[in-house]
Amino acid sequence: MSDTIVEPFLKGSTGRNTRGILRLSILVLIAAAAIASRLFSVIRFESIIHEFDPWFNFRATKYLVQNGFYDFWDWFDDRTWHPLGRVTGGTLYPGLMVTSGIIYHALRALTIPVDIRNICVLLAPGFSGLTAYATYLFTNEMSTSPSAGLLAAAFMGIAPGYISRSVAGSYDNEAIAIFLLVFTFFLWIKALKVGSVMWGALCALFYGYMVSAWGGYVFITNLIPLHVFVLVCMGRFSPRLYVSYCTWYALGTLASMQIPFVGFLPIRSSEHMSALGVFGLLQLVGFVEFVRSGVPSKQFATLLRGFVLAVFAIAFGGLVLLTVSGVIAPWTGRFYSLWDTGYAKIHIPIIASVSEHQPTAWPAFFFDLNLLIWLFPAGVYLCFLKLADEQVFVVVYAILASYFSGVMVRLMLTLTPIVCVAAALVLSHLLDTYLSIKSPSAPTDADIDAASNAAPAPSKKAAKQDGLRAMREPLVGIYTTFSKTSVVSALTAYLLIFVLHCTWVTSNAYSSPSVVLASRMPDGSQHIIDDYREAYQWLRQNTKEDAKIMSWWDYGYQIGGMADRPTLVDNNTWNNTHIATVGKAMSSSEEVSYPIMRQHEVDYVLVVFGGLLGYSGDDINKFLWMVRIAEGIWPDEVKERDFFTERGEYRVDEGATETMKKSLMYKMSYYNYNALFPPGQCQDRVRGVKMPDQGPVLNTVEEAFTSENWIIRIYKVKDLDNVGRDHAAAASFERGNKKKKTTKRRGPKVLRVE
Amino acid sequence: MHFLKGLLLSLLPAAAFAAKKPAVDKFQQFHAKALSSAPLKLDDAVYTQLTSAPRDYSVAVLLTALESRFGCVLCREFQPEWDLLSRSWTKGDKQGDSRLVFGTLDFTDGKNTFQSLGLQTAPVLLLFQPTIGPHAVTETGPIRYDFTNGPQSAEQVRSWIGRYLTDRPHPQVQRPINWTYGIAVTTTILGTISFLSVAWPYALPIIQNRNVWAAISLISILLFTSGHMFNHIRKVPYVAGDGRGGVSYFAGGFSNQYGLETQIVAAMYGLLSFATISLALKVPRIKDPKTQQVAVLIWGGVIFVMYSFLLSVFRIKNGGYPFWLPPFS
Repeated sequence: MSDTIVEPFLKGSTGRNTRGILRLSILVLIAAAAIASRLFSVIRFESIIHEFDPWFNFRATKYLVQNGFYDFWDWFDDRTWHPLGRVTGGTLYPGLMVTSGIIYHALRALTIPVDIRNICVLLAPGFSGLTAYATYLFTNEMSTSPSAGLLAAAFMGIAPGYISRSVAGSYDNEAIAIFLLVFTFFLWIKALKVGSVMWGALCALFYGYMVSAWGGYVFITNLIPLHVFVLVCMGRFSPRLYVSYCTWYALGTLASMQIPFVGFLPIRSSEHMSALGVFGLLQLVGFVEFVRSGVPSKQFATLLRGFVLAVFAIAFGGLVLLTVSGVIAPWTGRFYSLWDTGYAKIHIPIIASVSEHQPTAWPAFFFDLNLLIWLFPAGVYLCFLKLADEQVFVVVYAILASYFSGVMVRLMLTLTPIVCVAAALVLSHLLDTYLSIKSPSAPTDADIDAASNAAPAPSKKAAKQDGLRAMREPLVGIYTTFSKTSVVSALTAYLLIFVLHCTWVTSNAYSSPSVVLASRMPDGSQHIIDDYREAYQWLRQNTKEDAKIMSWWDYGYQIGGMADRPTLVDNNTWNNTHIATVGKAMSSSEEVSYPIMRQHEVDYVLVVFGGLLGYSGDDINKFLWMVRIAEGIWPDEVKERDFFTERGEYRVDEGATETMKKSLMYKMSYYNYNALFPPGQCQDRVRGVKMPDQGPVLNTVEEAFTSENWIIRIYKVKDLDNVGRDHAAAASFERGNKKKKTTKRRGPKVLRVE
Repeated sequence: MHFLKGLLLSLLPAAAFAAKKPAVDKFQQFHAKALSSAPLKLDDAVYTQLTSAPRDYSVAVLLTALESRFGCVLCREFQPEWDLLSRSWTKGDKQGDSRLVFGTLDFTDGKNTFQSLGLQTAPVLLLFQPTIGPHAVTETGPIRYDFTNGPQSAEQVRSWIGRYLTDRPHPQVQRPINWTYGIAVTTTILGTISFLSVAWPYALPIIQNRNVWAAISLISILLFTSGHMFNHIRKVPYVAGDGRGGVSYFAGGFSNQYGLETQIVAAMYGLLSFATISLALKVPRIKDPKTQQVAVLIWGGVIFVMYSFLLSVFRIKNGGYPFWLPPFS
């Protein structure tokens, strides 16, 4: 009976409309699920900006909203990188801030009073819904099955590989960049399929938006030319290809050059040369094709092919020559470290020190993608069935992105979309096959005979030449209901596990704001550790407006954002020497550090110490990077070797090296720490060692503030002594030590004989 | 008495001469030796003579242990670089203007020296600054260079030495042109070109074969997604012992892995993908209903068991992971 009720809705134009509404509501539900699964941290903690970089973006957005667009564009920030300052407007990707600013003003215009902070916090989840929709569009270009797009959208919505960078509060460039990435690719495929200038121009427009939002735009800049190159090599050159690529390249390059931070890079740096080279190649190929259409002589075509090759070789040689002679900028460090994997460790410790730039171990792939990771190769294989332009794109994208994500953990982000698409392709194919109600009738012997006779030999041979091994036999279908139910129920179970996995990963791994830490009390209730904000609030309320804070660069953005105080270095690591200076001040003895701090007008020094709480991301664990970076600039004054014991151990307890014990960082971390414990029981809970009973002595700085759990310790740099003593002597006097009398050195008593 | 005094007096200038002059000569003498075979091969006696206190020249001594029984890989890796550096420095400075002597002291020849310096590790590079003469420095002890960052290139060591030898020439490192390498590359390129031009008609079907490209793409994707680049960059061991004489296949810890482990994982992914492809493409093309039923069960079972095993392996890596499938719980 139910069949008859439903029947009219599935037929004709009504059926089309029903499907449209269904599709729309499914997409809306997917977007809602994508947004909802990213709200763990808001519900658990509060609406707060996370981690490090988002604090800068938040600060910049506030500046934009307060001062307007033009001031933002010309912003010179004198409250960071003291005393150098930073040309912030010209050295950032403004797309994120401008997006939030537009949303803010639009909502204001609609008289919805909303705080800019809430827009910033919820921007990433909001855009994740759009990403799911963009993935749906992209996948629909690849497959005729309508379910593939919906599956891909669902995967994209909840895959942890993308959630990791887009939870609420993670207000970073990637928040909008992944949407732009997928959407640009969709527009590119569309432009390529239709061969229209309009779609190519739209693609260029969104490419320009992408350039303004994230440094990862280089991925698009190289992937699209690579796709075109592969197509040309496969002999798939067509006017559609020519039109869409030339439109995209010309307009997209112009658009990208409008961003001050990018400027003339698209015509000077080697990362962009592949796009230029393919542009040139396409002109040549287009010219040859044009001439060939007019001149039917085969010899002439061969000659032209030789001419193309020669021109290509000359262009390549010229490129090399320009690079060598220095007209074109050499590879930038971050990009170069993608290809030569040993490069970063030797030449740029500051890049190697960032945990996002580490290679990816296999558990990370499985953690971020779960069952998609093994559906992924199957989906790519499926693309080889019908190897049209768009399928070639999937294959090229898949290989390139899996290489990059293997080299650098952070680039897992660029891999996730294509994994979702490929997995959805194969899964929808499976479901379409096994969910079909129609079963073929069992063949009789006569049928088989007829089939084998009817199959002409030449066609089989042709199939062997061209098709895939798996596709040689004609399609029959699934016979028994048992096969269908078993496969479909197993797949449903896997998909349910996938959903559970994503929720579990998001809730456990990616929803910590890292500004606020959570721990469990013995009775199971949640305890919030809020030392960071406590300390930054202290700075904001108890120090001068322009008190300069010295800390390791990790905390620069947070100090700027939360405490609103000038810093020496921050997470925008543009000046290695300045960072090395801070590293030197931290890793040298007080006598060396004090003049450095005076020269940089440092008022307070901030260190992060996790020994009491067992918080492993503290400065002592990062200390070796400070030493390494300082050693890179002052190899004679700071030596990594001196921080290791004779047996090559990195120790902080009694057996620590003299240099270690004398370093400012060590002293500031452990100053007065032993007073917390009864004698003989002083313990560092991160490194799990017993500390000496006698704590370090500080002369040139004094303790100003220590947070509740000792995570943040702030020291005030002492002024010069009033009566001109050096600090060690003054401190010694303060402590009531008797001044050592050096003049009267009495030897053993001797009998005086005249 | 007078005779003795006279003798003493006549010897005095000679003694003074002897005390001053040989220090100058010592450098020329060693430099001449070094010109024929740099770096100088030292033993205990020569080392003491070379580095004894009044010297108006610098000495760079590499203390190393080259014999295979010491198993010092770093020593052997650095030795050619060191030889290259000392040879090109000495060649580039025939007059001896930089007043620097290179020497190598192997552990077998200089046990006493190693003992007296209290050295536990090798290689160690010591740079002795002159104590007298125009370049003299007040600090008498040698400056030590440790190889904490693995083997160094000759250029790096040269710049390190150069930092201490200010206002003296620092000859460039002259790497000999590697003729064999160049010839080998040229031959290979020419060989490949000629091979291609001959084999092109036969190779073309292979190059244009879709199956070949599909296989290449899938293998590279499996390699990269199973953490091969991590192995390549971090140089992880292939397998490791578990401390009880057995072999541990899976490394403990989330961001840690062994070479064999990644291959096992890649094989699992590969099998799962293959089973999925079979279910999706091959099974619907089987004409016989019975065979098809069996194929569905086999491939479905393979996926189920393999995925269960994959989850159990992941539970080893990530202790708190709550999800599993039978049979591997």
